[in-house]
Amino acid sequence: MLSEAFLQSLRTLRLNPPRRRVGSLTGERRSVKRGRSVEFADYRNYTPGDDPRRVDWNIYARLERPYIKLFEDEEDLTTHILLDDSPSMFWQPDEEADGQPLAQKWLCAAQLAVVLGYVALASGDKIVLETNSSQRFGPKRGVASAAALIAFVERVSATAKRDLRAAPTGRRPSLNAWLKRYALDARPGLCIVISDMLDEDGYAEGFNALGNSRLDVNLLHTLSADELDPQFTGDLRLKDVETANLQDMSLDDAVLGQYRRRLTAWSEEIAAHVRRRGGRYHLTDTSLPLEQIVLKDLRRAEWLV
Amino acid sequence: MNLLNPAAFLFALLAAPIILLYLLRLQRREQTVSSTLLWRQVTMDREANTLWQRLRRHLLLILQLSTLAFLVFALIRPYMNVPSEVSGRSIVLLDASASMRATDVAPSRFEAARARVRDAINSMGANDQMTLIVVDGAPRALSALTSDKLQLLDALDAARPSLDAANWSAAIALAVATGAGDEDTTTLVFSDGAHADDLVRLPGKARFIPIGNSGDNVAISTLTLRRTLRGLSAFVRVTNSGPQDDRVLVSLRADGALVDARALDVPAGASAEWTIGNINPNVAAVQARIDEAQRNFLAVDDAAYAVNAENTMRHALLLTRGNRFLEQALAFLPGLRVTRAAAMPPDAQTYDLYVLDNVTATLPARANALLIGAQSVFTPSGIFSNTDYVRTELHPIARNVDWRGVSVLDARRVNAPSWLQPVIESQGGPLVLAGESDEDDSQRVVLITFDLRRSDLPLQIAFPILIANSVEWLAPAQGLNVPLNVKPGEVVPMPEGTRVTLPSGEEVVTGRRGFAQTDGPGVYTFDAGRAQGAFAVNFINVSESRIAPNPNLQVGSVSANAEQVESRPTSQREFWHWMAGIALVLLLAEWWVYQRGLPTRWRATPRP
Repeated sequence: MLSEAFLQSLRTLRLNPPRRRVGSLTGERRSVKRGRSVEFADYRNYTPGDDPRRVDWNIYARLERPYIKLFEDEEDLTTHILLDDSPSMFWQPDEEADGQPLAQKWLCAAQLAVVLGYVALASGDKIVLETNSSQRFGPKRGVASAAALIAFVERVSATAKRDLRAAPTGRRPSLNAWLKRYALDARPGLCIVISDMLDEDGYAEGFNALGNSRLDVNLLHTLSADELDPQFTGDLRLKDVETANLQDMSLDDAVLGQYRRRLTAWSEEIAAHVRRRGGRYHLTDTSLPLEQIVLKDLRRAEWLV
Repeated sequence: MNLLNPAAFLFALLAAPIILLYLLRLQRREQTVSSTLLWRQVTMDREANTLWQRLRRHLLLILQLSTLAFLVFALIRPYMNVPSEVSGRSIVLLDASASMRATDVAPSRFEAARARVRDAINSMGANDQMTLIVVDGAPRALSALTSDKLQLLDALDAARPSLDAANWSAAIALAVATGAGDEDTTTLVFSDGAHADDLVRLPGKARFIPIGNSGDNVAISTLTLRRTLRGLSAFVRVTNSGPQDDRVLVSLRADGALVDARALDVPAGASAEWTIGNINPNVAAVQARIDEAQRNFLAVDDAAYAVNAENTMRHALLLTRGNRFLEQALAFLPGLRVTRAAAMPPDAQTYDLYVLDNVTATLPARANALLIGAQSVFTPSGIFSNTDYVRTELHPIARNVDWRGVSVLDARRVNAPSWLQPVIESQGGPLVLAGESDEDDSQRVVLITFDLRRSDLPLQIAFPILIANSVEWLAPAQGLNVPLNVKPGEVVPMPEGTRVTLPSGEEVVTGRRGFAQTDGPGVYTFDAGRAQGAFAVNFINVSESRIAPNPNLQVGSVSANAEQVESRPTSQREFWHWMAGIALVLLLAEWWVYQRGLPTRWRATPRP
């Protein structure tokens, strides 16, 4: 799925959460909870009951007042990766015969999930990866789990492909339902959602639920080139791969222009919603090379540092 | 509105296959998409937009069905009954006389009449028929009786106003031959009514459509050129045929150069005269024209031309010891100036003709000569008195000459060259010979072998005819008997191959029938090799210059002027061609929309 050289290049990267969160174990991430650590954070006045070992005697000697020295409490972080495996993620414009490789869109999304998971594991974080079809990996910690992560994603791809062939337009839980259910028992931490966001029921409730569970939402919005800039024209009957809904369209340049404007407005709407809740949003064209997305785009967006 | 061909409504059934094909074409290709979520929003945006957006989807179908609708509408041939100038069969008499060139109605009476006839043609119904007769000096039918409007319009466009007076009697005869007087035939006369009193005799139903509203006109009615002691003198008469007095500026030009100009007061219905003297006698022609007039609606009679006859004079040298008969016969010949002498004068002047009457003389080379009796040109070899008339050969000089009563006492036998052939022969020998030498410097000779005083020929009617014929043959007047003054349209007799220069400067070579292009007034010059000269074509036509229209002209048994139009006939006005035109435009629009309105990828797919 990923070359060894590429994985090596990921070792230097770390996930950069938008806010610091409290973890359960001391890890390699800084927490807002001041605690025992080596990195100095601040001073405060001594109050009775404070551990006298944390008084800064040097300051006391100089000022004759007890001050408590505060340190950054370093801790680990649970990274939640929510990978959407709804049929729309497997869509490609030309329905090829069986035996064709998976759609570029899914391939890209799956690789991104692996990459982000690997980066998290490599930095000692705990990760959980869950798909829309309720397949779960983790929680796992340590880079040794990387192979299992890759195997898991490959298994998900194979299952999804098999399921799609059996029932191309089968119902799956909606995005909202999935995110809400996941938010119920999620530990606080960084939550990376990889999805095309194409869901009839919308996305707002799900993202609200994630936010309320003290998860830092990072939305990686994956859309294929054929969705960003469709090339088909003429009198068409459009069929939704998920709902099997039919939509008659006479496509010409004007309609396509309108579609593109509509798509831009929609993605900005989603981005605004996510950011309002303190999250981050990044739109990815899945036809771009993975290296460019990971090493350039996500770094520029400061998701990876 | 009525229909001529309601059965064509069946063509409307073609709408069914068009709609069927359209529906078949609307079978959409199915295309799976990851989600219809956004597409649905686009559709909602668009449908919320305008009705036009929705119509646009079916624009091609709408255009195709409209095309069919208009085609069917054209095929059922709807028509309306419209009031019309013509109904049934009509004969149009279009006045093309010179007075129709008057410009009292813009642009001219003839064009106004032509426009009215065009309206009449356009208002013809499908079953109406018309024939077009243009009436000038020689009326003729421009088209047969037809319902073909295009043919009639073409014929109408070909009509031109003439310089003649209209020959209404001939026109009526032509109209009657075409069917005027029949029950369902109406004769329409488009004319100014001037000099058209003959039209009373037009049989059958007739309507008169008067053209023109003013009779104001001044014309040059006379121009003559005379030789006087002090050179040439021109006489000009200007006639005002209008109802009001006028002041006219007249100019006289000689060979294009202004000689004199004068303002003349011409009272209504009267003439003013002007004589101009001291004109250079060597001018070829003069022109008199009306340069300015206050009320003058006919231009063609504003100029007149006269050729200087002096330039066309032939000069003859008569050598005689005195012969009153011969002198008189020569003096009466027009265009011949005779110089009499007893012996050949020493001056080197050449004459067109030498007449030797019993005189010995030496002729110059190439001299055309009439030789009578004893003379030195051909030596006599004897005398014969058996002069009873035998026969006359066919020769121009013997035309109309009756020799039967002529008595000749005796005649000389002459050693004549072979090219001199006997024309009048007696039992003893030839009495008159004529011929043209074959040599390069050809000369013509007429030889009378007897002394006129020894015969009674001078007393016979044959004598002046023989002399006139001989002079004409030996020294053709103006060459060729071309008159100095010709009316427009007249055919001028001329030998084939004569080059004629028109007033415009254009050069024309005449055919076998002479010169017929005397269409416009002016001075024409010609060159026939042996003879050169000029003649003037003049529109001097006092009656056509009186252009006063007669709107109350009695035409046939019905008098109808513009105001008292009886219940007008109606005709069926069809408009299928408009419908067909709209259908064509719609078809082009459909093609355009099809080519232009859809993007490239769709264009490549074949149409159902």
